[in-house]
Formats: sequence, C-alpha cells, structure tokens
Amino acid sequence: MSQLSNSNPFIGPSGKKPTCMEMLQFILDNDASEEQKAYFKQHMDSCMPCFKSYELDMSIRQLIKSKCCGGEAPEDLVDKIREQITQKLS
Amino acid sequence: MTEETQDAPRQHYTDKEKDDVFNNEFLPHINSMYNFGYRLTLDRDDAKDLVQDTYLKAYRFIESFQKGTNAKAWLFRILKNSFINDYRKKSKEPNKVDYQEVEAFYNSDEVDRQITPDLRVESLKDMIGDEISNALNALDVDFRTVIILCDLEGFKYEEMAKILDIPIGTVRSRLHRARQLLKEKLSDYAKSMGYKNADV
Repeated sequence: MSQLSNSNPFIGPSGKKPTCMEMLQFILDNDASEEQKAYFKQHMDSCMPCFKSYELDMSIRQLIKSKCCGGEAPEDLVDKIREQITQKLS
Repeated sequence: MTEETQDAPRQHYTDKEKDDVFNNEFLPHINSMYNFGYRLTLDRDDAKDLVQDTYLKAYRFIESFQKGTNAKAWLFRILKNSFINDYRKKSKEPNKVDYQEVEAFYNSDEVDRQITPDLRVESLKDMIGDEISNALNALDVDFRTVIILCDLEGFKYEEMAKILDIPIGTVRSRLHRARQLLKEKLSDYAKSMGYKNADV
C-alpha cells in the first residue's frame, strides 16, 4: 500500500487520503476513472477486506442485473403510446 | 411546463424529425423505462400507465429535447417526476427518510467501522428465485431508485443527480445507505435459507 499511495489517483485537491470504503464506493458507483479502477484492482491484491467487499458487491450487482430487469415491456405498450399521440397531439 | 424544459434552448423540428427522434432516440428505452416504472410503482398496470404518460409528455415537449443528447436520462427524469406528481400522492407508502441523518452518518467516522451484515458471496449463489427482487422492492422507494439507476442502468453520479433533482453528495450517501440496507435484507434471506455465517 505504501509504495502505491504516492500516486493514488483517488487523492483529490484536498490531499486527503481516501479510505478503502471510499475508494470502493467510487468504483461501485460507476464514477471511477480508468486510472482509479486500475489502482484499486492492484490495491485489492494486498487488501483482503477490499477484495471481499468488492466481490460481494459485484455479486449483488450481477444478481440484480440477472433478476431485476423485468424483461420486455408489454407488447401492446408501444402501439398504445402511438395511438394516444395520434389522438391527443396530432 | 416545468423542469423538464429548463435546460436546453427550444429546438425546431419538422414532423418527420419529431418522429425520427421519437422512434430512434426515445422508443429504444421502452424496456428500461417499463422496468423503472414497475420498480417505482410495484404494479405492472401502474407501470404501463406511467410509461405511457411519460412518452406522451416526452412527445409533447420534444422540442425541449436536443437531438443526440442523453435521451435516456431525460426520459427517466420525466418518468420520475410523473411518478412523484401523479402516483406517489395516491400511494400510502410512507416515503419519509431522514436524509440529513443519513448524510451525517455518511460523513462521520462511523462509516468504515460499521458492522456490515454477515453476508457471503456463497449464499448469494443460492438466491436463484425472487429473493433479490423482493429484497429490492422492500426498500424505501428512494433507496430502490438509486440502486436501479446505478446498478441496473449504469447512470453516473451527475446523471442521477439530474434525474432525481438532488445534489451529487446526496446521490452518494443515498447509494451508500441503499447498498447497506439491501445487504441487510439479503442477509436475512440467507439466514432464513439456513446459512449460519455469523462466525465469518
């Protein structure tokens, strides 16, 4: 960790060093840069709690993606929308 | 109207251009929109009505949409506003969450020391039914929403802040809390499924 922290791309203008949880949240929230993602990946190799949290959170995300998509919208929905537009707005 | 129209200067589209925008930029998001509507209302008929209303509004205000910009975020925002104005009032669901408390918590040193629910990756593998969906639906609608927007739809902080009309800091703290609550629910499921992982 110490040899990495000099170039930690998570350190902002305030110079404050982020905690593991803070770094992980940036990753999970789709808000990390490629550089930050690479740094965190390397960091996880030597930080078991981060690795475990990351693995758990990503598994939950996978589960959400596979189970909570709701499938396709009802077939007649687009037709109904078009019908309403024609009726009300044309 | 409204907040949906405030950002961009008014566009001028011919009828054909309107149809092009509608067909090529709005309609491709119908499945995501329907799912978002369902996750908000938790009712398939209400979701249908909500999506229908949203697309009608989107068409009516199509000239405040700038071609080639982020149609999905624009549509999600209209849907969310329609939900708040037309549906949430009707529903009895208690939605009050003390965000100040949530944020105070997030900004405190307690965050990293908190006890995370004893949930393991292995126990997730057995959740092959509706467990995750039920757990998500059991969250307060504001927490449910950020999880959908981030984990399922891949929106970024800035987009979520615009869709939800809240500051980026609030998006962050809400997401953090939402994940925590979701893990607690999943942990309860895991326990009821017979996992004893308290010792890990």
